[in-house]
Amino acid sequence: MTEIHTNDYRGTIHQRQKDLMLDWYHRLDQASDGGDPPTVSMMISGNCVELLEGFGASPIYPEVNALQLAIRHQSLEPILAAEDLGYAADNCAYVKADIGCMLKGITPTGERIPKPTLVLCNFVGCNTYVKWFEHVAELTGAPLYVLDVPFLRGEEPTEADVAYVVRQLKEVVQLLEKLTGRKFDCERFRQAVSCSSEVEQLWSEIKHFSQCTPSPFDAYFDAITLMGPLYVYRARQEGVEFFRAALEELKQKAIARTGIYDEERFRLVMEGPPPYPYFRTFRDMFAKWKACAVASTYSTVGGLWEFGFRHDPDRPFESIAMHMLAQNVTNRNYLQRYEQIRRYVEEWKADAIIIHFVKSCRLFSAGQGDMRDYFTKQLGIPTLYIESDLEDPRYFAEAQTKNRIDAFFESLEHAKSASRQGRECARTA
Amino acid sequence: MRIAVGVDVGSTQSKAVLMGDDGQGIKILSRALVDTGANVTRAAQSAFDQCCRNAGIPPQDVGFIVGTGYGRYKITFGNAQMTEISCHARGAHFLCPGTRTVIDMGGQDSKAISVGPSGEVLDFVMNDKCAAGTGRFLANAAEVMGISLDEIGPLSLRASHPVKIATVCTVFVESDILSYLAQGKRAEDIMGGVHLAIAKRTLSLARRLTIEPEITMTGGVARNTGMVQALETVLGQKLHVSPDAHFMGAVGAGLFALEKLGESFESSVWREHASSCRN
Repeated sequence: MTEIHTNDYRGTIHQRQKDLMLDWYHRLDQASDGGDPPTVSMMISGNCVELLEGFGASPIYPEVNALQLAIRHQSLEPILAAEDLGYAADNCAYVKADIGCMLKGITPTGERIPKPTLVLCNFVGCNTYVKWFEHVAELTGAPLYVLDVPFLRGEEPTEADVAYVVRQLKEVVQLLEKLTGRKFDCERFRQAVSCSSEVEQLWSEIKHFSQCTPSPFDAYFDAITLMGPLYVYRARQEGVEFFRAALEELKQKAIARTGIYDEERFRLVMEGPPPYPYFRTFRDMFAKWKACAVASTYSTVGGLWEFGFRHDPDRPFESIAMHMLAQNVTNRNYLQRYEQIRRYVEEWKADAIIIHFVKSCRLFSAGQGDMRDYFTKQLGIPTLYIESDLEDPRYFAEAQTKNRIDAFFESLEHAKSASRQGRECARTA
Repeated sequence: MRIAVGVDVGSTQSKAVLMGDDGQGIKILSRALVDTGANVTRAAQSAFDQCCRNAGIPPQDVGFIVGTGYGRYKITFGNAQMTEISCHARGAHFLCPGTRTVIDMGGQDSKAISVGPSGEVLDFVMNDKCAAGTGRFLANAAEVMGISLDEIGPLSLRASHPVKIATVCTVFVESDILSYLAQGKRAEDIMGGVHLAIAKRTLSLARRLTIEPEITMTGGVARNTGMVQALETVLGQKLHVSPDAHFMGAVGAGLFALEKLGESFESSVWREHASSCRN
């Protein structure tokens, strides 16, 4: 095999990200001793972490715990434990990994995850998620609040949708006041929304760096590194400082035209979450072809900010409701996802689209066969469709996945070569 | 004369094709076929050696070797690798130049490939991790019926009332067949049903592409006359089936190897592969 020289994104930010995430887990460990800080179990999709800041509370993200285990090749044991309990083989592997961890007392860092002050199911677009949080509440004995966020049916949510979500957010505030015995700090909440707005601006600018050729970072594999702080620290000053540093570091790379390979050969848009149990192996399959993701839908699960939306400290509740309703990829309708990907291809100058179908996630993956048809047949964009799972290592067939990826790039390489020769012929003529 | 070899190491069988280009045209000079078995590297070496012997050409006279198939990275003596998807497209275009769609049915996978006017891959789809719709399904069905693999195709052609096989699962087909045997259905009607089930599965796979004529069938299952007819029935058109259909991946690999020898292949990736794999 050819040794590919990659300039992986391993700046100071990478270490800072690790430190921040470890600090977060450490805070959760401390909370296990007496409920300080208060903690709220929440979903990544359209998370309302700003609200928690009004109580000085920390989020617990079961999805982040699950993916941290998978990336460390430790997800199968809890998955099997959940299956022993009766969870079906095709159930969401995130759910099984999380439930299995609770059953076996496994945590990503070895430190404790506390019983949450509140289990807040803030995303109901996936019925499995609702059941997941019901089970978390049952297993931990913590109270459950299901925040009903309507799916986005048209281009924008209605005023009634926004008012409906705002009303529920205020109910959550009242509930947390009761559960924590703390008064909701409106000023701290407003500052948190302000921090989020600043982080979102910085994150959006970072994501636009990948419009450069070469892209200074991989907007799929490297973006995942930045997503942890985005969800945990977005509403805090640490988050602002982290993203300021990230912006500066990447700006320097963009100015110096330093890409992730010595030569950027292909630019991709990635759809779907990565196979975390084989994260490095999967990345290497693209690195071999010097293919760089310049945009990804997965990095917009927690929020879609590169097209202009920001939280608004002057309308904190309404802007949180807007974020939950309309500005995260999983609550948007399918045609909007098509449009998002089409814009990425056009504005980020991508050569092709990769769709990674997640076998245990109907929410993200249903309809991706039609999506492939739309992009290949109607828009003429080369699109590769591959299948495995984001958490369950048993679904990843390395040889078959590699074969598809290699064949796809062989055909792209041929098309590029033919187009180059065509241009040369035209010049000669 | 430039001499090159393509070696296709499949899940069931390994194929090698030795090709020569004397400046007047490209010819297939010899072929070899061996069971892959557990030792992939040995199978590839054995196919290569046998192919050279069959052509009466010493291995050292072979200018370039391209490996393909799932075992391509285990070919220790090869110069470069290409996926079998590119190789089947290229081979089919060489032997049947009007080819625009390839249906490749092998031992453990099946694929449909859209082919461009110069034999390049435009798009492709494959079965997933499951072996439904592959040669393995037919082999299992034959085993349950107690019939050899070579007999099932001709037998299926004699079906007058092919049964409906509800599953294309390689495991569950056994219970379907046993249930029809218990009902006293004729062996030819059961095998006719088995072939039609696979053909329909393949059609639904191929429909994810735009099926353009002319269609060429490749892979080991192309030797099964019953499967060819079943596919022609569901597709509503004739298929090209070359006598070298089984060797198509190796033929394509041999053509890429000859191109490399002639330095006509300009891909930088190709150069990189080649330089990294040369012994």
